[in-house]
Amino acid sequence: MTPLKTLHILNKPPEHPRHAVCLNAIGPEDGLLLTENGVLAVVKPLQVDGGRCFVLEPDLEARGLAGQIGDNQLVSFGDMVELAASAANVISW
Amino acid sequence: MSTLIIIDQSPYGSWEGREALDMAFSLAAFDQPVSLVFCGAGVNWLRAGQDAASVEQKSVERNLAAAPIFGVDALLADRIACDQYGLAETDLPDHVAVTDFDPDLLGRFDHIAFAG
Amino acid sequence: MNTSLTEQTETPADAGVFTLVITGAPYSSQAPQTALDFARATLAANKRIDRVFLYGDGVHLASRLTTPPSDEVNLSEAWAGFLAEHRIPGVACIASALRRGLVNEPEMQRYQLPAYNLRAPFEIAGLGEWVDSVAADSRVLYFHRGN
Repeated sequence: MTPLKTLHILNKPPEHPRHAVCLNAIGPEDGLLLTENGVLAVVKPLQVDGGRCFVLEPDLEARGLAGQIGDNQLVSFGDMVELAASAANVISW
Repeated sequence: MSTLIIIDQSPYGSWEGREALDMAFSLAAFDQPVSLVFCGAGVNWLRAGQDAASVEQKSVERNLAAAPIFGVDALLADRIACDQYGLAETDLPDHVAVTDFDPDLLGRFDHIAFAG
Repeated sequence: MNTSLTEQTETPADAGVFTLVITGAPYSSQAPQTALDFARATLAANKRIDRVFLYGDGVHLASRLTTPPSDEVNLSEAWAGFLAEHRIPGVACIASALRRGLVNEPEMQRYQLPAYNLRAPFEIAGLGEWVDSVAADSRVLYFHRGN
């Protein structure tokens, strides 16, 4: 996988004001990693403009959403480390 | 290594904004390039005439006025948030510039952080 | 990644060093748990953590008085153990810590307080420690509260 320009790590649920601000800040070479309450966003299709969308598996499982991954990519903490290490930049929203 | 500190929460309701200012001032004190951007409810930091004594807090107005003197490179305010909170460009302090909070803005910095 | 002979693109090196900043308090947020899982995975991937910095409400993680029910993780204890085992510095920001009543012995004496409650191996220091990480090549990740 081509390293991401910016990895956006989002732990805010959809109704939190910062959630929408994050989504609007994602560029075409960026990736979005949903963690903690941020994984709740999988219940609707995510409009991540040409970017890649990753979901932290333990948080999805915890919330009973394991079956709803959709087009997004399930990742482990190990994957999260790799994503964060290889991106040119990381923003923790 | 230029840093952008984002303040998206209103002053006085919580301490994240103050702690974000401390982060910005610390970077500046160590000669690290740093800018501040206010978005969402955070633009309310920029209002004139804050009288925080009434809630037994220190006003943030003076801290902000001092930011350029302490070496913070730029103070920016998100256009959309200013609109939402009824802040015209002329209402903002002189040293604050209105900008669009978008990928282009973020792309100008090596490190971007919130205080909380 | 495919690089042709005529077009050499430089792949930037992966970040090998992380700094973790925790601003979410234990039990008020998931931040300390997520950060701990991330920290363990970082070491498992043979990468380094140069320090863990507690800021804002995150300083509560450094309390030595936390006593959760026996069937819940004691996050302060888990973090202290992790830092000690791997010899990673854990720093609580002094301004955040004093405000919230997290003090070590020197601060207890300085302010003539009745007790101190900072859990070893956490230390208290200023934001300069965080500035060091930002200024260096470290990849700084923040673990904030989620709501």
